Amino acid sequence: MQRRRSLPDVLAGGIFVLIGGVFVVGALGYDRGTPLRMGPGYFPLMVGAIVAVLGLAIIVKGLVAGEVIPSEAVPWRAVVLIVLAVVFFGFFIGSLGFVPTSAVTALLTTLASRRVRLLTALAVSAGLTVAATLIFVVGLQLRIPLWGPGFVF
Amino acid sequence: MDLFDNLVLGFSTALLVQNVLYCFVGVLLGTAVGVLPGIGPTATVAMLLPITFNFEPVTALIMLAGIYYGAQYGGSTTAILINLPGESSAAVTALDGHEMARQGRAGPALAAAAIGSFIAGTVATVVLAVAAPPLAAVALKFGPADYFALVLFGLIVSIALARGSALKALAMIALGILLGTVGQDIYTGTPRFVLGQRELYGGIDFVSVAVGMFGIAEILRNLENERDRPSVLDRVTSLWPTREDRRRIVGPIARGTGLGAALGVLPGGGHVLASFTSYAVEKRISKRRSEFGHGAIEGVAGPESANNAAAQTSFIPLLTLGLPAHPVMALMVGAFIVHGITPGPNVITDEPALVWGLIASMWIGNVLLVLLNLPLIGIWVRMLRIPYQVLFPMIVLFAVIGTYSLGSNEYDVYAIAFFGILGYVLIKCGCEPAPLLLGFVLGPLLEENLRRALIISRGDATVFLTRPISATLLALTVAALAIAAFPAIRKRREVVFAEED
Amino acid sequence: MRTSSTPRMIATFAAVSLIAACSGNGNGGAEGGDAAGYPEQNITVVVPFSAGGPTDTVTRMIADPMAKALGGKIVVQNVEGAGGTVAAGQVAQARPDGYTVLMHHIGMSTAPALYKDLGYQPLEDFATVGLVTEVPMTVVARKDFPPTTLADLTTYVKANSAKVTLANAGIGAASHLCGLLFQAAAGVKLQEVPYQGTGPALTDLVGGQVDFMCDQTTNTTGQISAGKVKAYAVTTPERVKSLPDVPTTAEAGMPQLAVSVWHGLYVPTGTPPEIVQKLSGALKTALADQAVIDQMAKLGTAPVAAADATPEAHRAHLEEQLTTWAKVISDAGVKAS
Repeated sequence: MQRRRSLPDVLAGGIFVLIGGVFVVGALGYDRGTPLRMGPGYFPLMVGAIVAVLGLAIIVKGLVAGEVIPSEAVPWRAVVLIVLAVVFFGFFIGSLGFVPTSAVTALLTTLASRRVRLLTALAVSAGLTVAATLIFVVGLQLRIPLWGPGFVF
Repeated sequence: MDLFDNLVLGFSTALLVQNVLYCFVGVLLGTAVGVLPGIGPTATVAMLLPITFNFEPVTALIMLAGIYYGAQYGGSTTAILINLPGESSAAVTALDGHEMARQGRAGPALAAAAIGSFIAGTVATVVLAVAAPPLAAVALKFGPADYFALVLFGLIVSIALARGSALKALAMIALGILLGTVGQDIYTGTPRFVLGQRELYGGIDFVSVAVGMFGIAEILRNLENERDRPSVLDRVTSLWPTREDRRRIVGPIARGTGLGAALGVLPGGGHVLASFTSYAVEKRISKRRSEFGHGAIEGVAGPESANNAAAQTSFIPLLTLGLPAHPVMALMVGAFIVHGITPGPNVITDEPALVWGLIASMWIGNVLLVLLNLPLIGIWVRMLRIPYQVLFPMIVLFAVIGTYSLGSNEYDVYAIAFFGILGYVLIKCGCEPAPLLLGFVLGPLLEENLRRALIISRGDATVFLTRPISATLLALTVAALAIAAFPAIRKRREVVFAEED
Repeated sequence: MRTSSTPRMIATFAAVSLIAACSGNGNGGAEGGDAAGYPEQNITVVVPFSAGGPTDTVTRMIADPMAKALGGKIVVQNVEGAGGTVAAGQVAQARPDGYTVLMHHIGMSTAPALYKDLGYQPLEDFATVGLVTEVPMTVVARKDFPPTTLADLTTYVKANSAKVTLANAGIGAASHLCGLLFQAAAGVKLQEVPYQGTGPALTDLVGGQVDFMCDQTTNTTGQISAGKVKAYAVTTPERVKSLPDVPTTAEAGMPQLAVSVWHGLYVPTGTPPEIVQKLSGALKTALADQAVIDQMAKLGTAPVAAADATPEAHRAHLEEQLTTWAKVISDAGVKAS
């Protein structure tokens, strides 16, 4: 594998440093205890520091001799729509109920593909909603109301 | 001939018509829920437990056990077909299994998994019948210090899961451990990193991490370039393993079975450790190490065998000591109680028909699973013919519903989105999700046992070196770390030399 | 429907119809009515712990007979998290129409002392329906632990308080509360070793990694009768049928150590009293059901007396327990958040 300066390596290292750092800062707020009688903060502090140090090592390595990773363009439409779909489900399942929430989630997800036409998307999401209702509510007896209290026409 | 009498008793119980029937219902249900993302065996057993209240005790337990090991089969099917591991152990199967599926070899991958699981299940059932009490005694010898050393060893070994850089794999493991600390600290009750949300007190759910880092991230990668998405079916060569494949899976199956049978006995992380230790072993001893991560059939057969062997032997602590090694076993303890059987070491002598009937049923269940799964392979492979525009919304929708159904907790759903993005970005940067997932599963065990060992030893850290099991495992860990670092160093030298040329 | 023709669907539907055939009750969701016609829709009983656990098992045992007595349907929903406080918080906010009911155990009375910013108050935000059952606890030790009686144990742990380890199943668990009560009664502070649930704790006790603990009879009876652990006492006023040789704590000279894992049903405050009475009546009917009595006996417990399955008796018990645990927990300096 060819090795040279690698932006993905630097980015990956940066993510590790960031997350490790956030946990280290958070862990400082908890009681650390002693190495031999650890408090709740000790272990996350230690592991957070390890993550950050490994992240730094990856950055340094990425600047000197990184991995070259073939990359494609980010599908922004899919990223936005799928995240929206998942968050929508979590946010509204309690109030809207199973059927409306599943239908919207399915529709948003289906539209994440650039090659789908609206009519197809509607058909697919309707089919998936029916299938999901049959499998999860009728079959597996999930305790989620089909139509929630917050659902009004 | 005690064993012989016991087996006769067991089979005469397990072969009763209603027992075979419910064994079949159990493995069928298990396979089905294993295939559905999100809903795992624990949730299913919990849901079906009340129904079994009216069954004969042995019938109830046969069915519940069938769900448990049936789900291990089903989980690997989705791991191979759509890169969505339903259980932590299936994350390992996804590595090479899904790669094989992308190359049009989903059939051989599924067959290797099914055959490996069957052989492992059979051998492990024999182990269960012959050596349960001594193995259980060994498992009890494991104290917190030994578990800490075992888990640490397992984590270091899992660096081998990575295709690329060992450094990144190590960072992903550590990140997984870190994410595992979210939630209430069991020692002090302090809520850690919960952002003030009580819903996070129980920590981040494994299913959310797996669905996000594997499922969503994979979908986003596939949507990067839709036009060029190769039609997998065009390249389907054969449904069945070739003669070469069959030759290559013999060793991995044998080794995986041994590893799985041994590690499965340990309560807690045993069955998780089994599958990825097997992967690491196969990768290390293979002559085709570079194929691992790119569709090596050994990387499917070994871990799948280990996983299934462990699923069987994890019943040993339950049957001989009445102690549950897995949440599903804890539910089965509940089933014992409801049926008026006091769980404990006396069950095996007080209720021989029940214990031996259950053991025999496991073998029958494995036969049923093979009969069920081998013909299904063709159907599963044809599932890849579903247009991707239908398949990926189905995966997303079923995954969020399944995840939500576990605890009616919307934060589990939000976590899917978070880990989907994190996984996508990290994968694009050359970091693979499998080591993170294993760090996430084993991290809490690592911290728990580290702190517990130190509490029990009254802060005497030498306990890790004075206990023989722990000392041996720590020595192995150091060796594994050295071996993992060594090729990286050697490769760097090679690169340097290559550049000089 | 495009996807239904796929084999995956066929396989799933096969499984689904099987489950449906096994369980066979649907799930409606019409809007609710008033007290006279109650129940007009499914009643949801929220269980704050995982499915299959002791609290869940007890709930599912009484759900069907209660539903029959009410002439409606009951569905059980598990809402887990933070020692049951997530579920209690949700039910406290639910519409007080009798269609959302909470099953909770002793944790209802300990949460205010353990958690700050609980978001609800047990006495103000809930109306009590009735007590359900009380599960006794046992004090057990690894089998080679030197003390042989509860009195011996007290002396021994006092003399060896720097060495002895006391296991429990985590903050706020019944085993933890019982352990606190023991330490208070014995006047000693011991090194506690928390576990993630009872199973691993008991495993380490049988394996001799820790010295002693308290646990519910449902978990310990089998280990005690097999001689894998040593039992000192049961924590109820009377001996337990399945363990006739184990003395009560009062007999063993420690009457202060009285604790049981009691369960009760709650509805949000503001629920019409007639509906509470209907629920309480149904609970009484369910607890008198021979099948329920038999199933509970297998769990090593029994339904409470009919007089205790009432809103008044339940409320009195809750008040008493809230006071007891507030003191025990604050004396021990324990906090969960």
